[in-house]
Amino acid sequence: MAASSGGVGERRVVISGMGTVSAAGVGTAALWTAARDGISQVRPLVTEYPYDGRIRIAAQVPDFDPAKYLEKALLTFCDPFTQFTLVAAEEAVAQAGFAREELSGPRVGVIVGSGIGGMTTIDNGLRHYYQERIRPDPFSVPRLIPSAAPTTLGMRYAANGPTFSVGSACSSASQAVGLAAQMIRFGLMDRALVGGAEACIVNGTIRAWEGLRVMTPDFCRPFSTGRNGMTLGEGAAVFVLETLESAQKRGHAPLCELAGYGTSSDAKDFVRPDLDGMTGAMEAALADAGLAPEAIDYLNAHGTATHANDITEAAAIGRVFGERAGRLPVSSTKPVHGHALGASAGLELALTIRALQEQIAPPTINFLDFDPRCPIDAVPNVARGVEIRTAMSNSFAFGGINAVLIVRALAGGA
Amino acid sequence: MAEDPQEKAKLVEEIVEVIASEGMIDRTKVTPGATIESLGLKSVDIVMILTALEEKFNVYIPMDGALQDAKNVEGLIDAIAEYVLKEREKQ
Repeated sequence: MAASSGGVGERRVVISGMGTVSAAGVGTAALWTAARDGISQVRPLVTEYPYDGRIRIAAQVPDFDPAKYLEKALLTFCDPFTQFTLVAAEEAVAQAGFAREELSGPRVGVIVGSGIGGMTTIDNGLRHYYQERIRPDPFSVPRLIPSAAPTTLGMRYAANGPTFSVGSACSSASQAVGLAAQMIRFGLMDRALVGGAEACIVNGTIRAWEGLRVMTPDFCRPFSTGRNGMTLGEGAAVFVLETLESAQKRGHAPLCELAGYGTSSDAKDFVRPDLDGMTGAMEAALADAGLAPEAIDYLNAHGTATHANDITEAAAIGRVFGERAGRLPVSSTKPVHGHALGASAGLELALTIRALQEQIAPPTINFLDFDPRCPIDAVPNVARGVEIRTAMSNSFAFGGINAVLIVRALAGGA
Repeated sequence: MAEDPQEKAKLVEEIVEVIASEGMIDRTKVTPGATIESLGLKSVDIVMILTALEEKFNVYIPMDGALQDAKNVEGLIDAIAEYVLKEREKQ
């Protein structure tokens, strides 16, 4: 299926650079080290106002001083989710070897997913207005809209191409990356800044999450016995996409090829995952990449550590990979960086790419014992050297929107 | 469990009340052997039940863990009672 003739829908798309902000701090190196070495970045919860709920842990970006990275004039318009996006983009663009002006003009798009958008601005604005009876920030609206992240990013680089936010809860980042790849393939744009961002660890949101009872009060243990839910995270991941041809022409060695994207909707339940929906998205991604399941060497799972997700995801992996399902290394890195919602799939894609580069499957930490209801090889607790040429990253969202990405190594940069 | 049997019986009664009212099911149908499916309890009903229990007993009960292994009302009550009793010991 691979083709590089440049015909409609045949342009190959590569990831030329990536950047992240996460509970491990600023930069993908720190995130990868934490994931590979299995060092959880979940810490005691820190909130601006006293929190009266019961969940007192989260994977928050530590000691983040936006003024260190961004101009003061710009900061006025930036909710933390936009700040994370801009900082992650700096790393991605530098790695891609682009000068700012090379990402300007009508052929460059910006697509960033977010589950909520500017939640800190919303939370503060409502508190000021209803409780403290003071006026909200006059720039509340441009700060809180989910499209604030892509538009602010686009302004920074003067990118005039297709620019919008994608909202599909926990699969938002995968949708943004996948959509952008399709748009490049079909010639709607040539380069793109894409990814996901979320910053919603504020009182109102944590309390709302508590209400769903899917949060663990102690340890997130995907696929393990004794698992009792997820931990909230935050951050952003940004990727630079371009065609293989463009990267070759400018002598840049891409990180990998973005080989496949598949998405599906369960159209069934608000919170319960669905076997058919998950399976459909994984199969669609394989079909898009023109690959058989045997080609996948590592899978970064959605793996939230909720009872329902992990059993359903393991069953879906069983359906797609058949008897090989029990041997395929599958790990969830969420116990390390938390479930960063709209950013999560981006952080996990970044780790999937690092796994591909390093030939290491990062572990699923906090793993107690094999759960027969999750019959997969979850790479428990310790990283493993694995020959990885092609890898898959799953993300499944509340509301039933599933999105799966496949990345492939490029031999000698081609 | 070493708790007072009278206290346990009262607790069970209170939990049954909550299951019946929040799950919107006839109180008489909430028998120990009744399965969760037979009562038509969906995940959203369980969320409502756990929310009401939190307000009543001041205890956080995750959806996952022991609760998911419960097959019938008795299992559900045991799982919930364990959380409540643990919380009481802490107080």
